[in-house]
Amino acid sequence: MGGLTLLILRLAFLAVLWAFVFAIVYTLRSDLFGHRVRRMPTVAASAAAPVAQPVLGARTAVPTSAQSSTAARRLVITGGAKEGLEIDLPAEQLTIGRSSESGLVIRDDYTSTHHARLLNWNDGWVIQDLDSTNGTYLDGVRIIVPTQVPLNTPVKIGTTSFELRR
Amino acid sequence: MTASVSSRIAPSAGPPIDAGARATFTRSIRLKLRVPARLRNIELGLLLLACGINVAALALVQLGALGAVHAGIQVIAAGMTMLVLAMHVTLRIVAPDADPFILPIVTVLNGIGVAMIYRLDLADKSAGWTSGGIRQIVWTCVAIAITIGVLLLIRNHRVLQRYRYISMISGIALLLLPILPIIGSAKNGARLWVEIGPFSFQPGELGKVALAIFFAGYLVSARDSLSMVGRKVLGMTFPRARDLGPILVVFAASMAVLVFQRDLGTALLYFGLFLVMIYVATGRSGWIVLGLGMFLVGAFIASQALTYVGGRVHAWLDAFNPAIYDANGGSYQLVQGLFGFANGGLIGTGLGLGRPDITPLAASDYIVSALGEELGLGGLFAILALYLLFVSRGFRIAFAGQDDFGRLLAVGLSFVIALQVFIVIGGVTRIIPLTGLTTPFLAAGGSSLVANWIIAALLLRLSDSVRNQPRLVVETEPRDQLVVGQ
Repeated sequence: MGGLTLLILRLAFLAVLWAFVFAIVYTLRSDLFGHRVRRMPTVAASAAAPVAQPVLGARTAVPTSAQSSTAARRLVITGGAKEGLEIDLPAEQLTIGRSSESGLVIRDDYTSTHHARLLNWNDGWVIQDLDSTNGTYLDGVRIIVPTQVPLNTPVKIGTTSFELRR
Repeated sequence: MTASVSSRIAPSAGPPIDAGARATFTRSIRLKLRVPARLRNIELGLLLLACGINVAALALVQLGALGAVHAGIQVIAAGMTMLVLAMHVTLRIVAPDADPFILPIVTVLNGIGVAMIYRLDLADKSAGWTSGGIRQIVWTCVAIAITIGVLLLIRNHRVLQRYRYISMISGIALLLLPILPIIGSAKNGARLWVEIGPFSFQPGELGKVALAIFFAGYLVSARDSLSMVGRKVLGMTFPRARDLGPILVVFAASMAVLVFQRDLGTALLYFGLFLVMIYVATGRSGWIVLGLGMFLVGAFIASQALTYVGGRVHAWLDAFNPAIYDANGGSYQLVQGLFGFANGGLIGTGLGLGRPDITPLAASDYIVSALGEELGLGGLFAILALYLLFVSRGFRIAFAGQDDFGRLLAVGLSFVIALQVFIVIGGVTRIIPLTGLTTPFLAAGGSSLVANWIIAALLLRLSDSVRNQPRLVVETEPRDQLVVGQ
């Protein structure tokens, strides 16, 4: 085994080691640099709609304990592309952003990767802006500190607005 | 992704259907959705690359040190690869949404460690089942088997929250076990091992996992009273004694380690973990100021009162002084490690071509200087980048977490790894005084491997159960494209 061959193998090993590091960094680039803004095919956008159930069936699924708590239990989209859709709020928090790991994914030109989050705090919901570029608006006012979200009050993120309802 | 949407639209048009009839109708349809395991496929790709790197590292060691490739060790190391792939299959079944980067990163770190320990065996002419490299491979296999067991056993991390006080007691017991008269044993001045027959074990390594679970479980319930209730002294709110009680017990135990077991590194590790978790839980920077102040005072007293700590500080500040270099317990080892780094230079001497065996304890405490010599700055930075990625994944898992316990636990576990890497590599490169700790995943030592693989397993479990599945995806309708330029 010649010295030159060994040198080449050595350098190749270092190169492969770094290639491994960069393979990982490349795969998680969206985590580091945010999601790219790009147009989604309309097929994907309309895929959410057929899964939606009519309110009749779902209403029976809501437990009757809803009356005992004053906290909001669902989130209703009141403006934007998915107007009229609603989801049940999770137990502790709901993250909102363009990242596909968010609980509520909003993909438009104004939403940041990790835009905001809703936190359940003492039986009420608090919205916290996660340093988003275009801000989160509660009842038309841009929020700076985590703010309590009253029921039936519009929260606007990008072109989407939603309300919390019981 | 949109398959898990549980949404509904407000008014339903069309004829009303009887709810009961629809229910039976729906129940008669059996749909089997095959969701592509995208994350697991990424993991498999990276894992194959990782195993390739491990095989190449062992082959290069043999080429460099022996001049030819022998099959012997590769066959034994193949057992390790098999188990890693078995773990990948386990993840596909029990944790399909787990983070895809942790397992490949850990595999590469472990494999490079095995190659370097095997290389030191070749230099020492030790072979067979008692040699360090093969022992390390066997321990890795044991650690991976335990990790698979942990993944199968703990299906939901919230179960751990129930056992927080049990983990506190077992953590402290593990920590103090080496003090016991018959089974405890001292090596190189530190009393950290438990010896039962031919087996020796370092229980403090497992203790850090138990204590991280305890801190996370305890702080979730106590953080409100820790940060709100209390008396205000000097502009800082001090919590009530009954809120602080369990934490002070743990703090006292880790200080006992410092005094009775003569191990600075472990005490520093536990104290740092304690400080960071309490800071993350309460969000009060006062804790950091207070903790660092306590630590600096404690470190100063220790360096004056305890001779072994004082010796470490002198060896750090004045390493190249001939008197300290030649002294018993002086800076000989540290300086040899630095010479190793210098000999390695930018691209290293090449695996199997340097002299890392000159440094005492090159396989355990000083494995970083051995790697720095043979892989150079370029290789060492790649290893540090892997640690950085591992820790950043841990923090990412914590950030995306849904429940406070999981978030705190992920922060604690990944911070333990980060702090341990900092303490060891900082000590070897003479940034801080040297304290004996193992480099996670790299250094020789079974207990350290088992503990760190368990940390990896817990992070994988956390990332699987806390992964935020989108509840709703809102996408704007495509509009006229904005054309910039021509």
